[in-house]
Amino acid sequence: MGSRWDYQRKSALLLLPYLIGAFFLVGLPLILSLAVSFFTYDGLSAPTWVGLANFREIAFDPLFRVALVNSLTFIYLAVPLRLLAALGLALLLSRPRPGTGLYRALVFLPTVVPEIAYALLWLWILNPLYGPLNQILRLLGLAAPAWLVNPETALPALVMMSLFTIGEGFVILLAALKSIPTEVYDAAWVDGSGRWQAFTHITLPLLKPWLVLLIFRDVIFTFQTTFTPAYIMTGGGPYFATLFLPMLVFEEAFDRLRFGVGSVMMLCMILFTLGLLVLLFAIFQEWGYEEV
Amino acid sequence: MRKSRGWLSQASFYLVATLVILPFVMPLVWMVASSLRTPGLPPPRGIDWIPQPLAWGNYPAIFTMIPMARYILNSLLVSGMAVFLTLLVASWAGFGMAQLSRRSWRRLLALSVGLLMVPVTTLWLTRFLLFNALGWIDTYLALLAPALMGSSPFFVLLFYWAFRRLQAECFEAARLEGASPLDIWWQIGLPQVRPTIAAVGSLTFILYWNDFINPLIYLKSQSLYTLAVGLQQFQQLDRTNWPLLLAAALVMTLPVVALFFLTQRYYLQDYP
Repeated sequence: MGSRWDYQRKSALLLLPYLIGAFFLVGLPLILSLAVSFFTYDGLSAPTWVGLANFREIAFDPLFRVALVNSLTFIYLAVPLRLLAALGLALLLSRPRPGTGLYRALVFLPTVVPEIAYALLWLWILNPLYGPLNQILRLLGLAAPAWLVNPETALPALVMMSLFTIGEGFVILLAALKSIPTEVYDAAWVDGSGRWQAFTHITLPLLKPWLVLLIFRDVIFTFQTTFTPAYIMTGGGPYFATLFLPMLVFEEAFDRLRFGVGSVMMLCMILFTLGLLVLLFAIFQEWGYEEV
Repeated sequence: MRKSRGWLSQASFYLVATLVILPFVMPLVWMVASSLRTPGLPPPRGIDWIPQPLAWGNYPAIFTMIPMARYILNSLLVSGMAVFLTLLVASWAGFGMAQLSRRSWRRLLALSVGLLMVPVTTLWLTRFLLFNALGWIDTYLALLAPALMGSSPFFVLLFYWAFRRLQAECFEAARLEGASPLDIWWQIGLPQVRPTIAAVGSLTFILYWNDFINPLIYLKSQSLYTLAVGLQQFQQLDRTNWPLLLAAALVMTLPVVALFFLTQRYYLQDYP
């Protein structure tokens, strides 16, 4: 008969594949990116040490600055709108009634559509001449923008199509709303507070940790979600209007085989991500949410 | 407490919900409609809700224009293997986490939440160099590698929560009879968390079936292409043939949509 300690140690063994996998896939590439940033490397010949040359190159690279500004602009426009949409829909569809199941599934539906299919679909929808969106706008007598062809509307168009892939945030907020006991609201009705007061005084504070978590995750994941649409639909154009950081790293590394320079750019994304993570954990510590 | 709500408020709910839901559904309706237009016709004036005639032939046509069947098989193979590996690693890790002392699992929880916040694109370059050194480029090993860590820490956490909800007593009894953690995981744990297996399994399948970034970086030979990169290549071949492009996109989309509707109740609806 094994002792409790023995059993726990054996159970911990079951965690090994996960931990080893995480080190191999996240830890090791992280360490490598620190190293590669100081070399010139094309993937074929031996790497050569160049010190801070790659960093200096990035600092004066106008394209890098454009990509950085575009990435931040995308975050600034998309993250609040996506959060509001997810929250609004979760509030609207949280109470079970006949048919809400179908509505919830339909909200989630665009999120499961493959990224590449979604990008092709929206490339068609945003077609300035024949696309369904502009056909509708013309029907309504509204202005029909050139969307992806015009540098001014290209980035907002990508933001717009990102507003319908909010399934993750929607599900999380739905679950969070469900976990609020109804008695809390009953007490509020007895107190005579209105709907809006109940929302601002009960719902929002209870959702706060989830909202903060979602904001951080959404901000960080724009590094991933902006890649495929830009790569498929605009190629970073027109005139670099939709050139985002991951796209630039992709071009530096996999088109031009300049792994050193690409690595420095990637390091910027990593540091941004880590910085936000530290901030997130600090906030949660402050609020006392050490346990989930 | 407001109990009875009038039919007016009921009706306004359905009206608002339907209006709000429209932009989520409309694009997919257009995808179906546009995929059935006859290729080569002049572009539609206005929205062609039901094309005349319905060009069902577009679907067989894409199978002859590109090796669509091959891509589908490849995608099925990759996604299937990924589901198996992910279920194994994620359920092990979740089970292990649920057996640990409070202090250790809190650290693991923090680690998992941290890992959950790292997008692929912040690591892909050096991951590529790593796989290159291992000779994994242009093999499915590179695509399946994320399954070695359970594909997503979120899946590990889902299993952790599921195992945590189970009665500790039945684990405890089996432990006192000398069963190993592996036995308990297989004989007592897994049979009780079937909904989680279904949810994680289907989400994993969707994740790998949809994956575009990894095959784009790691696959070089066309015979290994999955649907995602096959579709991108098709787009480069024939940029303006919208009916066929959208038909191919729909062929790729349908299986995941079907799988989603079959399993969505496990993560979207009120009953557990």
